[in-house]
Amino acid sequence: MARIVLRGLGHSYRNAPQCETDYALKPVDLTWEDGKAYALLGPSGCGKTTMLNIISGLVTPSEGRLLFDGRDMTGASTAERNIAQVFQFPVIYTTKTVRQNLAFPLECRNWPSAKIAERVDRIARLLDLSDILGAPARRLSADQKQLVSLGRGLVRDDVSAVLLDEPLTVIDPQMKFALRRKLREINRATGITMILVTHDQSEAMSFADEVVVMKDGQVQQSGPPEHLFARPQNEFVGYFIGSPPLNILAAEPGNNRLNCPALGLSVGLPRGVGTSVLSFGVRPEHIHLVDVAGTAPGARVEAVENLGVERVFTLRAATGETIKVKSRRHKGLSAGTDIGLSVKLGDLLVFGNGRLLGDGEAYLPSEDVG
Amino acid sequence: MNRTYLIVKYLFLLAWSTFVVFPFLWALSTSFKDANAVTSGARYIPWLEFEPSTQGWKSLFTSGSQGINIVTPFLNSATVTLTASAISLVLGTLAAYGLSRYQFRAGFVKNSDITFFFISQRIMPPIVLAIPFFLMLREIGALDTILGLVIVYIALLLPIAVWVMIDFFGSIPKELDEMAMIDGCTPAGAFLRVILPNSLAGLVVAGMFCLIFGWNDFFFAFTLTFTKTQLLPVAIVSLNSSVTPWWSLSAFALISVTPLALVAILVERFMSRGSLSGAIR
Ligand SMILES: Nc1ncnc2c1ncn2[C@@H]1O[C@H](COP(=O)(O)OP(=O)(O)O)[C@@H](O)[C@H]1O
Ligand SMILES: [Mg+2]
Repeated sequence: MARIVLRGLGHSYRNAPQCETDYALKPVDLTWEDGKAYALLGPSGCGKTTMLNIISGLVTPSEGRLLFDGRDMTGASTAERNIAQVFQFPVIYTTKTVRQNLAFPLECRNWPSAKIAERVDRIARLLDLSDILGAPARRLSADQKQLVSLGRGLVRDDVSAVLLDEPLTVIDPQMKFALRRKLREINRATGITMILVTHDQSEAMSFADEVVVMKDGQVQQSGPPEHLFARPQNEFVGYFIGSPPLNILAAEPGNNRLNCPALGLSVGLPRGVGTSVLSFGVRPEHIHLVDVAGTAPGARVEAVENLGVERVFTLRAATGETIKVKSRRHKGLSAGTDIGLSVKLGDLLVFGNGRLLGDGEAYLPSEDVG
Repeated sequence: MNRTYLIVKYLFLLAWSTFVVFPFLWALSTSFKDANAVTSGARYIPWLEFEPSTQGWKSLFTSGSQGINIVTPFLNSATVTLTASAISLVLGTLAAYGLSRYQFRAGFVKNSDITFFFISQRIMPPIVLAIPFFLMLREIGALDTILGLVIVYIALLLPIAVWVMIDFFGSIPKELDEMAMIDGCTPAGAFLRVILPNSLAGLVVAGMFCLIFGWNDFFFAFTLTFTKTQLLPVAIVSLNSSVTPWWSLSAFALISVTPLALVAILVERFMSRGSLSGAIR
């Protein structure tokens, strides 16, 4: 259990990195607080595994420092760091039984055998492996193997952190849901820091206290899920968090104001943006459908997708832009209908060159209602 | 249709087996002949075509002018082959593991160059090595000794062990070592506690190759010894004098083939038990 701090930590798999793109992980300052549950989110190849491997000690970073509770661990061995890690694909010791697999991390650390037996039984019960403890591990099915891998990651109760690198990919959806909850419970009960790598944002949002979003080896934003949802720092985060993703709409400066033709709204022109390319972002959840009659700007329903409780409407605005709307209402609305749109000014995000203008409080479009 | 296939299959297998086994049967029958039976035309079946004699077999275990004494060369061969194979296997496995898991660099020399350097020892024709080996062994006074032969055989067998084991370790995912280290092993611990138990099949194959090449080598056993230290292949050939004792020669040949045949049978059993299946994922 430790507070893990990355200070200017970066890594390139090349010998002499020339430019930014040579880095699998661009130098970053980041803190993983002790005891929290984190989700590390990002498209495949963005450096998530690299970051975890640096924390656990499998990869030595090419620059920067790694601190555990203020202690420099940059060059420490994997054993010293006492990190548990679960890989994306099951790794099991084929010559051992399930019980021996689960006991191995404890045996390596010379725990007394009574305590080993107790921990192994406990983890086996937690993961429903009790019945197959005696089975040779190589006989198991793929998802049982992954459960054993997961069990080996959770069997130590004194680890600095548990790093989970997309561990649920090979596990079937129902089990996945239950396991995620169990992981969450373990985190709550033991106060062990957990970092769950995933590219499934709903998994990230439901698991984590804090979400870290990465892209191209760069940390884009980190914070509580609600914050990332409400105030994505850039268009990528907006696009990556939320389903369907953030609507990005054209912004046209005019009359000293910034207009959104598709929604019929305008806000005060942000200062100091110079020649930035400006755009609006609005969550599909934040667009309300109203009657066409009145002054609301119109759109035509092009498609309706029923998600059970909610529906996702694909609309074509008068400007030709596509807008997605997510709503629990309007069950009768079908494709081809014309409908009006209404958005609260406070829900409108303004991006300059793809970056959110202001960090949430400094620039609020709602201050000057148009 | 199916029947014809079966018949053809068994005929083919029968023909092939005969082709392979015939020399052994011939040697077996010859080893029980006396001089008369060998020289007077082709005869194969004992009791029917000739009166069997155990003279050939007996001669192998009697020393002096009447006998040949196979025991000493056999023990020499066993000592040299087993020692050299064991050492090569240990050193070769360690080298191969290092080469498969870590990047080495000395100037322009990289892992692949080091691997090639090992293998190139076997690409060179043996005759090229004979003179240097001879001179070096003479320098350290190890000509015509077991020790000298062991040293030379290690040089010959090490590339085989390295080659086989690099390939084998290459087939074991790196994640297994990484997992072991995460679980608390040192790099050496990961190798000993996790990788090695998973490598039995590779070790058996490498060990078998070492035994075969070591046991069967004639060239170096011949060029680096005189009279004191004789290995089996050299001893067999030295039987071939003005009057060749074919009966002794055959018995001798059969005995020297037996250990490798036993190894082959054991290994075959071991491998067919499915221990080769890695099943990491
Ligand atoms: N061992 C390696 N050697 C060289 N390049 C690597 C290695 N591992 C990963 N990379 C590269 O680093 C980048 C980040 O990879 P990774 O951390 O595995 O991403 P993610 O886990 O987010 O999918 C990728 O471009 C990948 O090709
Ligand atoms: Mg990955």
